[in-house]
This record gives sequence, C-alpha cells and structure tokens, in this order.
Amino acid sequence: MDVRSLGKNPRLLLMALLLLAILLPWLPMGGSTNYILRILTTAILYMILAMGLNIVPGFTGLLDLGYVGFYGIGAYTSGLLAIHYDMSLWLILPLAAINGAIWGILLGAPTLRLTGDYFAIVTFGFSELVVLVIRNELWLTRGPMGLPGISPPAIFGHPLTRDWEFYYLILILLLIVLVVVTRLQDSRVGRAWFAIREDETAAQCCGVNLIRYKVTAFAISASIGAMAGAFYAKWFKFIHPDMFKFWESILILCLIVFGGMGSIVGTMLGALILIPLSEVLRAVLPQGLFSARYLIYGLVLVLMMRWRPEGLIPFEWAQARKALLSKERLGL
Amino acid sequence: MKPVLKATRLSKSFGGLSALKEVTLEAESGRIVGIIGPNGAGKTTLFNCLSGLYHPTQGQILFLDRAIVPEVPEAKAKHIRWCALIFLVLGLTWLPLFWSFLLPNALFKVELIVAGIFILVMRLLVVRGLARRQMWAWSLMFLFLLSDLFFAAWWLSVPASQLHLAGTPIRLGHIPWLWSIGAGPLGIYLMIQLSMPRVRQIYGFRPSPDAICQMGMARTFQNIRLFYNLSVLDNVKIGCHPRMDANVLGSLLRTRTQREEEALTEKKALEWLRFVGLEKRAVDLAGTLAYGEQRRLEIARALASEPTLLLLDEPAAGMNPRESSRLVQLILDIRGRGITVLMIEHDMRVMMSLADYIYVLDYGRLIAEGTPDEIRNNPRVIEAYLGGSIAHVDA
Repeated sequence: MDVRSLGKNPRLLLMALLLLAILLPWLPMGGSTNYILRILTTAILYMILAMGLNIVPGFTGLLDLGYVGFYGIGAYTSGLLAIHYDMSLWLILPLAAINGAIWGILLGAPTLRLTGDYFAIVTFGFSELVVLVIRNELWLTRGPMGLPGISPPAIFGHPLTRDWEFYYLILILLLIVLVVVTRLQDSRVGRAWFAIREDETAAQCCGVNLIRYKVTAFAISASIGAMAGAFYAKWFKFIHPDMFKFWESILILCLIVFGGMGSIVGTMLGALILIPLSEVLRAVLPQGLFSARYLIYGLVLVLMMRWRPEGLIPFEWAQARKALLSKERLGL
Repeated sequence: MKPVLKATRLSKSFGGLSALKEVTLEAESGRIVGIIGPNGAGKTTLFNCLSGLYHPTQGQILFLDRAIVPEVPEAKAKHIRWCALIFLVLGLTWLPLFWSFLLPNALFKVELIVAGIFILVMRLLVVRGLARRQMWAWSLMFLFLLSDLFFAAWWLSVPASQLHLAGTPIRLGHIPWLWSIGAGPLGIYLMIQLSMPRVRQIYGFRPSPDAICQMGMARTFQNIRLFYNLSVLDNVKIGCHPRMDANVLGSLLRTRTQREEEALTEKKALEWLRFVGLEKRAVDLAGTLAYGEQRRLEIARALASEPTLLLLDEPAAGMNPRESSRLVQLILDIRGRGITVLMIEHDMRVMMSLADYIYVLDYGRLIAEGTPDEIRNNPRVIEAYLGGSIAHVDA
C-alpha cells in the first residue's frame, strides 16, 4: 500500500496511528519503556485538555484563560470521591464531568454576555478563585497540605498500577473525547460555534442564539477538562493546589495556539510535540540549565508567531480539507 | 393584500443624533419593496431596527401580525410609573441608615456615606433605565429588591437595642417593616407581570435577532458578512440553523433523527446553492469567492432559513452590469417563490426595474413613497438627491 494514500483517507490514517499506539508498550525501547510511556501518558492527558479547551477559543472564538480551574475542580472531585466514598473510576469520571459542566454553566451564564478581553479577565479570575478556595477550605481539601492517598483505579477488582495500564486507560479516554469533539464539530451545534467564531452579528442574524451556544461550548469544554483532572488525580494519587495554577492554563493555551486554534488534529499535534519537548530538553540541557526550558518554549512560540501565526494546522486548512473530503459524497 | 411587515412611527436616536424620525412603512406580501435615499439617510439603521440588532427608541414594529416592538398601552405605562415610584420611595427609606453614621462617634463614616450615596444613585439610574425600557434595569431592580428584603429580614431578627453596623448603633424604627412590605409584594407583582410574554415585550424584553430570524425574517448585510473560513456549503447550512432541531445529545449519539436531518439539510443547502448558481463552488472556502459570488452566497444563506420576508441591504453594490442584471433575475425568482423582499439599493436601474413600491428616506425622515414612476417624478426626491439649488435652477 502506498504510504501517500494514507493522507487522503483519514479513517485509514487514524487506524494506522491507533494500531501503532496500541502496540507501543510492547515495542523494544532499549529498557526505557516505562519512562517513555509515562511521558506519552502526560502528552495524551494534555491532548485531551487541549481538545477540551479548543472548544472555547478554537471553535467559539472566546479567549478562555481559566481552563485550569475546571481541571482542578475535576481533580479534587475525583480525589475527594475516591478518598471519602471509595468510588470506582467509571463512576468518578462522569461525576467529575458533570461537576465541571455545572461550574462551567454557573460561570458562563452570567459572564458570556461580556465580549473579548473582559471575558478573558473574568475567566482568569475564576481560575485564581478555584485555587484560592482549594488552598483555604482546609475542612474540604486539606489546603496546602494536598490530598494524598487517592486509591488507584481498578478494573474488575484489579487495581491499575503499571504504566502501560494507565497508558491504555488514557488512550481510551482520548478516543472517547476525540469522538465527542469530532461529532460535535460536524453537527448543527458545531456549525453554530463556528459561526459565532467567524462573525457574531452574522451568526445572530442567521438564527444562532449566542448565549445558549456559548454556554454550551463552555460547559462541554469544562466537563472535558474536569474529566482529564479526574484521571490525573487517580493516576498521580496525590493532588495539591499548586498543580492548578494559572501557568497551566497558559501552557494549554500555548498548545492549541501552536497546533492551530480550531483544528482538532492541530491541537492534538501541538500537545504531542510540545509536552515531550520538555523531556527532550531535560535530556539535552545540562542540569543547571533545566529551568531554562520555559525560555525555549517561549522561543518556539515566538518563532511560530513569526512564521506561522495560525499554528501548525490552521483552522481554514482543517475546514478546507473537511470540505474537500465531502466532495464525493456531494457528487460534485 | 395583507402586509407582512408594518412599522409605525419608528424612531431611533443615538445620543443626540436621531437617525430615524417617525418612519412609517409597510411591506405587502409577495412584493418587492424598495428603500432609497442619499448616504446617511438612515436606511441601514432601519434594517438594523427591523432585524433586532438595534432597539428603536420609539414606535412599533409588527411582523406577521406579531409585535416585534409593541406600542406601550397607557395602562401599562402607568403601571411602570407606579412600580418605579414605589421602588424610589424604598430607596429613600434607606437614608436614615446612612444618617446614623453622621453621629459623632461613628466609625467608617465616609465610606458608609459614600456607599449610601452610591446606592441611591444606582436606584435613580434603574428608574431611568425603566423609563427607557432597558432590560438590564429590570435585573438590577430585582437585585435591589432582594437586598431590601435581605436587610429587612436581618434587622427584624435582631433586637433593636443590639443593632450595630460597623460598630455604630443603628436606630431604624419601623423602616425594616417598610422594606419588607414594600419590596416583597412589589417583587412578586413584577415577577408575575414579567412572566407574561406580551408584558415582557412591553417592558423591553424584545425578541433578539435570532428569535426574529426564527420568526421568518432573514437579512443580508451592506458590507458582506460571510463566515469566510468555512466552506460555502457550511455557510448555507448555518443559514438552515433555525429550521433544525438537533441538540448536543442528539449530535453526540448520532441518533437516526439527527442523521436524517443532517442529510436533509445538506440536500436543501445544495438546492439553495443551485438556486443562486454557486453549486460548483460548494466545497470551496467562502473567502475564496469573487465579490459578486459572495453577495449571492449571502443571499443563499439568508434564504436557507426559509424566510417570509427577506431584507437585502444594497445587494448590487460593487457589481458590474452583467452581474447586476443576473441579480435582478435572482431577486425576481425569489419573489416568484412567494418571499416578500424589502431592499435598499443605490443602483437606480436595478431599483426601478424591480421594485413594486418605493420609500424614500432623507436625514432619517420619510420624504416620499409611491410606485417607481411616481418616485421618478417627485420633486422632493430630486431635490434630496441633487441638492436644493440645482433643482431650483432646473425648475
């Protein structure tokens, strides 16, 4: 089979990549399999986060600086449910997602009437608020002492401990989120979001209820973030308010800006490149210079903005490609 | 013929500038109605008022016998005045609270007095907002009524001798009772009133542009507003939005109804593209279309919402003669489908060959109306277009 025909058939390409991802833990990697798997698990976690965030600034065109707030809410929901009620992961994930969505609606419904920068500032305030609440409500979250002793997830009574088990778990989550996001993108809801992104006034005059669709976008984005947080808590088994600081939001935003705001493949690619980059730098940079890796991140982004401001896979490419793929179906 | 749209004494002012002054017009079903006038005559403002982007300062708009902007009946206006009066009196009863901070040994004197003045000014602003039928005023008013009730409950639950705020003893007497019997019933009365759709409209809760589109009024824009980074087909599909039902859950589960609706939408969208002659460009991005094509795509997008009334804002602007003659044919086809068209146009050849009836605006005022022939020979129209002196010289 010609390799080039893969690019023309997205389903085939997806299958090939999935096969590679499934086989990955069993490929020889010179003894560092677990290390690489852990990095990949982190990268996939950020892919999920990036896809979730992408719904708000990418699809709907609203700058969201507080995404990490929902990540934190999800992580603490999961941690507290696991510690106090010893719930199974399969119950925790939907509960965390619902909790995230509730907070997304509570934050979004009043503030989504704001436009542009004002909205961004409110979301920023929200993420700071979440961290402050987590830090100060000792009775609930143990504050700065963190939340240790979260039980590992179990499947049929078998607790997951090995790296490849977590790797497969997050791979499944990634597939679920991917299906959710693609299906939404190709539906009436997704088109309404795109319309809002492109031109709010025109969207309104085409019958799109702005507030309803913005709040929907916000809630779905929040629930994906919360789900990722729930996984994170169960994987890391310890959570701390400092893990959900503002910097995390910026990092996730960087991933989607780098990959291409609004294109699903772009955001995944962004996370897949930038997150392992940090580990590559850890290997390449001398010990003392390791903290300079953020400098290199910044440099990558500056160069990106100079040469490719729309990201690796720009939104209009994704749209043009989607349209081209539908050509046969339309009989043109 | 029944009018599809009827606007009565419509006025819109921006601060001191009045863009529309008492404009009355109607569009009868199945006709092409034109609006002409020099630049800055208020034509686009009129369109924005009709499609709900602007809220007219005064007047009434009826669309398919439903009020988009209703006239306020005198009885309701009286109710609003009474509500505002009670609300203002309640605000004044807060004053003794702040007077108690003028006592010699009070703490936080300045801060609390400033807070009191702030609350009073906000209440006055709310009343002004109510008079102008602004929606935000209602939410703010409810917030104030809630705070009245909250404080009343607080103060009534504490013995008067122990009542302190910021270290200052407070003597309020029977005022908390006044707050509770004033704010409670007023809030409940307003809640009941605002739950009635007709009353909501009168009070300023007007249908938003998307609701108006849902009712069957679609529009295009003077400066083309397409979704440039989306495909031509997706642009038209977004136009179909108000005639679809799929929600988030249906889209996630890809239910059979959702898939059927999606397939039907695609078919309809392609049909509309064929109607305007763009089916060959369906899979291109809208931004790659030529100017004339973009205009036609915008019309297709508006038609996709299956409107009863189509508002066209300068559809022939920037078109060459061949393109504009094609456009004339397109608009005639649209009328042939039973859609009423209301259009603004500067190109007189297009306008005179299309319109069944024409309204002429100048400086926000309606200066003439009639059939194209009547308009062509109307001295006031010639004066508005060519300037007074030239018309005089001509005469």
